[in-house]
Amino acid sequence: MLTLLKMELEKLFRARSFYLSFIVLIAFVALMLWGFYTYAARKTGGQAVEQFKYTYESKQYFNGLTFALYSLLFSFTLLLPIFVSMSAGSQIASEARAGTLRMICARPISRASLIISKFLVTALHAGLLLTFFIGLNLVVGLIFVGWGNLELYPGPLNLVDAPGKIMRDEALMRFGYAVLSGTWALLVIAALALLCSVVFDSPVQATVMTIAAYLTLYIVGRVEFFEHLRPYFFTTDMDFWRDVFKPDIPWRSLWHYAYVCGAYTTGLLLTTVIIFERKDILT
Amino acid sequence: MWVKLILLLLFCLMILGAVHFAQPAESEKSGSPAKVLHSLRLLTWNIGYAELEDDTRAHDKDLPAVAEVILRQDPDAVALQELTGKAQLNILLGLLHGKYRGAIAQQGREDRFEGVLVKDAGATFIPVAVGARYALGASFRPRQDSPEVLLLSAHADAFNAARRRTYTEALIDWARARAQSSEVFIAGDFNFELKAANETNLYTDNLKHDGESYSLILRHFHDLGRAAGDTAINDRRIDYIFGPPELEQIGRVEVLRGAAVGRMDHWPLLVEVGF
Repeated sequence: MLTLLKMELEKLFRARSFYLSFIVLIAFVALMLWGFYTYAARKTGGQAVEQFKYTYESKQYFNGLTFALYSLLFSFTLLLPIFVSMSAGSQIASEARAGTLRMICARPISRASLIISKFLVTALHAGLLLTFFIGLNLVVGLIFVGWGNLELYPGPLNLVDAPGKIMRDEALMRFGYAVLSGTWALLVIAALALLCSVVFDSPVQATVMTIAAYLTLYIVGRVEFFEHLRPYFFTTDMDFWRDVFKPDIPWRSLWHYAYVCGAYTTGLLLTTVIIFERKDILT
Repeated sequence: MWVKLILLLLFCLMILGAVHFAQPAESEKSGSPAKVLHSLRLLTWNIGYAELEDDTRAHDKDLPAVAEVILRQDPDAVALQELTGKAQLNILLGLLHGKYRGAIAQQGREDRFEGVLVKDAGATFIPVAVGARYALGASFRPRQDSPEVLLLSAHADAFNAARRRTYTEALIDWARARAQSSEVFIAGDFNFELKAANETNLYTDNLKHDGESYSLILRHFHDLGRAAGDTAINDRRIDYIFGPPELEQIGRVEVLRGAAVGRMDHWPLLVEVGF
């Protein structure tokens, strides 16, 4: 199993898509910074950031931590699931497409172990992406926007229903929690993409199907017509990761949704293993 | 085989964990019922109709039902929104059998008026200019020995968050200036769209304006009706009663969901406080 994991890690680090995902995240942070400054300039008639900071009650509302939080929340919904889908969706399907899957399965390893090792590598990729992204945002925020406490207001970000504040050191700790909760939430996407990767022989098809399922549920969940269906979508449960940024973390609810996401992940993985073990590999 | 068994075990563990940490039902969550106080009882109600109707202001035919709710709940003062004018207020006062005195705000650009009803016969009514709109204040004493209370009936713009913000800022400035001499309460329909669960988490100017407006109010006042939940159809909590931040006793807080008649889209919010 360890040898298998080592081989899969080598494959991950050799893949160009692995590095591409980090480059895109860097570009996204640059885009956020540009958007942040142009928005400030537009809203304050050219008086720029100095006045923009004052649009909220707090004079230091817009600081590096706020910037990092905005950037993280915006990207988590749409950007990170795409990379996780790409990474997981290509795991089995790309081997099948390249014609190496049959050879791998001919080796004395169980198919279940192969799935698990590929899933663990994808989980590592998701964790690295999130760690890198959060770290980069904090560094960029510190350098370009400045430091301060994390102040939260109702409305934007939809995190709180009353104004709240998290002190700087505690807020940094919360970003650390977000690496864990965010990665855990993204594992649902990873497991779904891995299932698609087993079902479909094309990595593109597997990735597109995963993203389509994710976006469909995400968008439908936001439409009031389907409000009653919202609790049954995994996209709703995945939102728990944001709770670590609430001034008082609702631990009970957080653990509940973390377990629900875990159930989705393990359930999908189990299904993947069962299907893969019965699959007739022709390529 | 062992991989599948471990996965199955983990799956069951996750389900058990999810069940274990599931939120208790609403009835379990609420502890002992709120202590009922009688020092001051306020009610706010936008008695207008939903947007789809021809005339979205209050309808005369609903006034007996409105009066019945007021008489049954027996508040010390009532903030009303979307009255059609003085004539409608007089009909309502008649239906209340002289138990209340009342006034409506001056006419601004809108075709509808805020009103206040007060039991205290010595109450005085104060017009409040808030930009292009008018709110109405009523200064009264709920009991002979109680301090003076100032209740503002407010109605912020329904369609523009920036205008809501301007309105709120002006209203709060006005109210803060009176907070030294009276216990100030602000009641009304602010139309803030702040419900986190129903919105996307993407940033919009409207959310920012509403967030800032609400935060500004909370900086100086206490949102007394927060625990009561939605006050209008489509799961919206847009009617509020704000009170002094130092209030220690908050008694009954309730949205009277069975009270709406006709095509009303709001429910009355009732708050009891001791001060």
